[in-house]
Amino acid sequence: MRWATRAGCHVDRAACAWLIRRFLDSDAVFVFVDDPDEVPPDATAFDMPGAELSHHGGDCTFETMLRRHDLDDPVLWELGKAVHEADLADERFDAPEAAGLDMICRGLSMVLGDDEVVAVTGPLFDGLYEFRRRALMLGRDPA
Amino acid sequence: MAGRVEWVLLAYRIPREPSTPRITVWRKLKRLGVAQIVDGLVALPLDARTKEQLEWIADEIIDASGEATIWVGRLGSVCQERALASRMAASVAEEYQAVVDAAQETADDAAMSSRTLARLRRELRRIGQRDYFPPVQRERAHQAVGTLANAVETTSR
Repeated sequence: MRWATRAGCHVDRAACAWLIRRFLDSDAVFVFVDDPDEVPPDATAFDMPGAELSHHGGDCTFETMLRRHDLDDPVLWELGKAVHEADLADERFDAPEAAGLDMICRGLSMVLGDDEVVAVTGPLFDGLYEFRRRALMLGRDPA
Repeated sequence: MAGRVEWVLLAYRIPREPSTPRITVWRKLKRLGVAQIVDGLVALPLDARTKEQLEWIADEIIDASGEATIWVGRLGSVCQERALASRMAASVAEEYQAVVDAAQETADDAAMSSRTLARLRRELRRIGQRDYFPPVQRERAHQAVGTLANAVETTSR
């Protein structure tokens, strides 16, 4: 399936691309566009103004995706807090890792193209997911 | 700030009632540090991030049965541009000054200092996110918090 989002891949879009590949569509192909009008007709748009899969009711797109696709894995919602704060910094959640995550993604988008940002941040989110998963199981931060 | 800043503008109207979405939108605009041009028209220096943030807020206004459009533009004269940038700088300068004052006030009170230090560091990060035309107070605030940090470290040794 094809998925379209806006060019300039920052934390919310990178996290969504990871979520799509890992949980929704392992063969996902991403298209990056500059304007909502350029979304190909066969592609599902995300993290763009006017798109269904986008910011809603104070949620960032990652959280909207979890809601719309009934992904109730608590680890994903923990990850969602970090993505939310990295993207919006509205202090709805306490996620100290968010500031670093935001800086890493912004920095990567300065030196890499969008496809590469998605490729490189994949293992980053894999690692964060695993950390959060173990933390949830142990009830404390893992070693 | 000598020349030709491009701006992204949000022109909007949001129903007076219910008041919750209106207040949420206003808080978000404040956090971004927008300059209010007239009632219902706010501006930020244009970059990919500011444009995107205003676009999300525009969507939110439309969801709340309001009207919102995003514009990109330039001021008619350098003089007007400088006035707008100065106004924005003055507004964050006040926030930085409050940090300087708080840092100096607590410097004598060792017990209070470390908690205040953590709070002021957070506050500096918050202000930094809406500081588009850094005033001299920025450096002063960072220095004052640095001094406080040194004081805290000395007393805890």
